[in-house]
Amino acid sequence: MASDRVVERRRVFQQYKADVKERGKPFYPYAMFHDTIMSLVVVATIIGLAVIWKWTIPGAHHIGTEPGWLGKLYDAPADPGTTNFVPRPDWYFYFLFYLLRVFKWPWTVFIGTIGLPNVLLVLLLAMPFIDIRSERHLLRRPVALVASVLVIVSMGVLTYKGATAKEALGSEIVGHVPTWAAKEGFTGNTPALAGAKLFAVSGCLNCHTYISDGGENLGAPVLTAEGAKGKGIAFQVAHLKCPACVNAGSPMPSFVGLGDDNLKKLAAFLEASKGVGKH
Amino acid sequence: MAPRSQTPKQQLQAAITYPLDWLEERSGIVGGVKYFLFRKVPGDVNWFQTLGAATLTAFLVQALTGVILAMYYKPTTGDAYNSIQHITNDIWAGWLVRGMHRWGASVFIILMFMHMGRVFLFGAYKYPRELNWIIGVLLLAMGLGEGFTGYLLPWDQTAYWATVVGININGTAPFLGPFLSQFLQGGTYINDTTLSRFYSIHMLMIPGAIFALIGLHLYLVVRLGVTSPPWSKEAAGTGSTEPPSSTDGRSGLVSPTPRRSAD
Repeated sequence: MASDRVVERRRVFQQYKADVKERGKPFYPYAMFHDTIMSLVVVATIIGLAVIWKWTIPGAHHIGTEPGWLGKLYDAPADPGTTNFVPRPDWYFYFLFYLLRVFKWPWTVFIGTIGLPNVLLVLLLAMPFIDIRSERHLLRRPVALVASVLVIVSMGVLTYKGATAKEALGSEIVGHVPTWAAKEGFTGNTPALAGAKLFAVSGCLNCHTYISDGGENLGAPVLTAEGAKGKGIAFQVAHLKCPACVNAGSPMPSFVGLGDDNLKKLAAFLEASKGVGKH
Repeated sequence: MAPRSQTPKQQLQAAITYPLDWLEERSGIVGGVKYFLFRKVPGDVNWFQTLGAATLTAFLVQALTGVILAMYYKPTTGDAYNSIQHITNDIWAGWLVRGMHRWGASVFIILMFMHMGRVFLFGAYKYPRELNWIIGVLLLAMGLGEGFTGYLLPWDQTAYWATVVGININGTAPFLGPFLSQFLQGGTYINDTTLSRFYSIHMLMIPGAIFALIGLHLYLVVRLGVTSPPWSKEAAGTGSTEPPSSTDGRSGLVSPTPRRSAD
């Protein structure tokens, strides 16, 4: 036997079909007219954005890697060897990108990267089966109203935070190396100093934090006292070459492109970093 | 056989209707198109309900510009960046086509979210339209997949490093993560295989699925009809208003019993 709810919603749908048949208007030309206007607005907007993208670039030919109002036409060619680059997704992934800063390595990071987005996806898919009342007016659907406001506000805030997230500029940070050396006490350690400079310019601080510099991005750990863990030079070099090989599930990219000499310097720097005032 | 006494106007009409009749007899397509165009929608549909058509238009712009870009783009690590420069700087209107594809992607994503918001606001995912909501969510996920796979193709620094981290993020998933990363990359590092794999997924696999799902989505829209705005005084399905009184008693066909009062 069909429940009352099922009987009622079938009745409402039959009523809907009867009402539309009785009092509706044909799709063409009425609704289709509005659809066509809207589609033309969409195409015009897209063309407009393409035109603004190119023609606001300064210079006679509007080419190259100079940014206009909407950014560059293209960046420098991909180079796996240079690592001083801030990874940024397209704007609609910013909320996800920023979510990753909320979760810290190692055990919770997959909650931010995989867990939450998948939970959201499953909730979205399941929504018609969670919200089974037939009421459609939003003001009489308090849970749906609150949930939708929360989702919109949090997506907006996360997107904004992701868009304005502070980026570590290698050229500025490299000036902090003497201060680091003084605080951590590796001023006389030549390989560690060289490693510190590499660390500053190689984009490590886009994700990692060192003393008061850096990003805390993608759940990357704070490295201020990395040397106190006593992991050793060999481990550090192996980790830099293939982070996921020694630390399963690590999202850190490989820095093998820097070469063995540079990796040893970086490792010396990390091992010399025992923590502020701990030397 | 047409009689000889036909006027030129009649001959013209016959020339137009003959191929349509031929097509209709063999496929029923003319009747189908007529049904699609002249089906009734509630009298109170509003501008919010054009967002679906707007999203479809944005997707068609992506498909069209994508096909043109595919004629010039070369999905290898050695040539990709140069072919993008060639499209942008040398080919006639290449900058426009690429710009439309680049920004059309953002417009498509925004419109998908807005369309979804409209459906949520109207409670239009409720019975009997649950299945169409699910198809819509799958379309949203695929749209985001297009965004992810398309971002690598220019093969510039932005593209490369965003994808390195994106693939590594996939890799953090328990159990399946490493396999997913391996599959996306076609190896341990991003290389030629990764690029051609992303290209194939971006322009064959996902768009094919999107086209199929949009077909199903529209089929269900036509079959189940469009909802009235829930706040509308004469919303279809509420049975709360009298049909026009001038229907010479035929209103009894809709509901033979007296209608409920609008409470």
